Amino acid sequence: MKAKAISIHSSRGGTGKTVIATNLAMIMAGKGMKVALLDLDFRAPSLSMVFSKAIESPVRFWLNDFLNGECTEKQVMIDVSKIYSLEGKLLIGLSNPSIEAIRNIMGKSSSWEVTAVKKLFSLLSSLFNDMKVDCCLLDTSPGVQYSSINSAVSSDLTVVVTTLDSLDLKGSENMLLDLYDALERRSVVLVNKYSPESRVLKGKRSESVASSVEGILKHPVIGMIPCFCDVLQRERASIMAIEDPKHPFVKSLEEVAEKLDHLLSI
Amino acid sequence: MHFAVLKMAAEETNSKLEALLAKNLSLFQTISQQLDLLININEKILETQKEFLQGVSRRPDNGIPPDTLSLLTLPLSLRKTVMVLYKLQKATAEGISEETKRLRGVESAAANQLVRMGYLKKTRQGRKVYFYIESPVEMKK
Repeated sequence: MKAKAISIHSSRGGTGKTVIATNLAMIMAGKGMKVALLDLDFRAPSLSMVFSKAIESPVRFWLNDFLNGECTEKQVMIDVSKIYSLEGKLLIGLSNPSIEAIRNIMGKSSSWEVTAVKKLFSLLSSLFNDMKVDCCLLDTSPGVQYSSINSAVSSDLTVVVTTLDSLDLKGSENMLLDLYDALERRSVVLVNKYSPESRVLKGKRSESVASSVEGILKHPVIGMIPCFCDVLQRERASIMAIEDPKHPFVKSLEEVAEKLDHLLSI
Repeated sequence: MHFAVLKMAAEETNSKLEALLAKNLSLFQTISQQLDLLININEKILETQKEFLQGVSRRPDNGIPPDTLSLLTLPLSLRKTVMVLYKLQKATAEGISEETKRLRGVESAAANQLVRMGYLKKTRQGRKVYFYIESPVEMKK
């Protein structure tokens, strides 16, 4: 795969963006790729919790600091490859979860966002050119917010994660049309927590469900991840690709990773 | 006999003149209709230009560069140029056109339009003119 940035976004919260982004990053790095994972959900950061066990010393620099010009691209990235014994490499950039940092980011002006998107481009350029990263995954905040739009603008591809809930589908439809199509960004859909027992699509095969979703959202569906009760019951901070790599959830994501690889190499 | 010939000739000339006048009248009517049509077209062009200028002049504040949300208020032709400049940071019209795959002249026009709108800045280095988005926030070194 040529060095690419993939944004993981959704119209509403709770669709599984962070779980998908984290596990995709682990799967790719497990296969020998050099991967970066950025937490761009500044209002509800969660990657610092997901990787809390992997980070021994206190985080020196957050992505917030980088966007404020307080550290360099290399200083903000943390290498967690050895802790997970990955064949490849995984670098993570974390967002500061403290209330003070969240309050600070909420008070930023639109002028600051102009600098932020330029800094994001410079971080991606450094990741690809200096740190030789193959793929960068950007975990964004849900809905239309500066951090998610900045992420979409700077990415080569956006994966819009949705469930089959009608509110999710409607939100995704609006976002794909009014945002991604308007900005001419390449985007695909990933259906998560798919249940064959879903009220809307009961009795349909997953292929026909996927084509129904494609009909509604007018964008290709790259995967249908079934809903697994045991995944939902786990801690959201747990990383399935590490803890239970043979789980069907991980297998579904491996297929998604392959499709992304194929899509981005075209 | 001589009078009768003259009368006939006069009548013939009269009828020819009448026919000519009728033809001229019809011609003038056609010209008048075409002029009305042209006036209508011009009015429509003026209305469209006015709407376009109102659209492109909408921005959050005077001189503030475009954030990613305000990109959506720009016409697509200008939006593309700004998005490339986010990536390249600073580029000539030729550099922008290499990314957008549009003609250099198109990019030059779009970038200069964005400069007039206060969204971009431009600077000359030798013979080359570079366009860039000015960072409104001072970065710490």
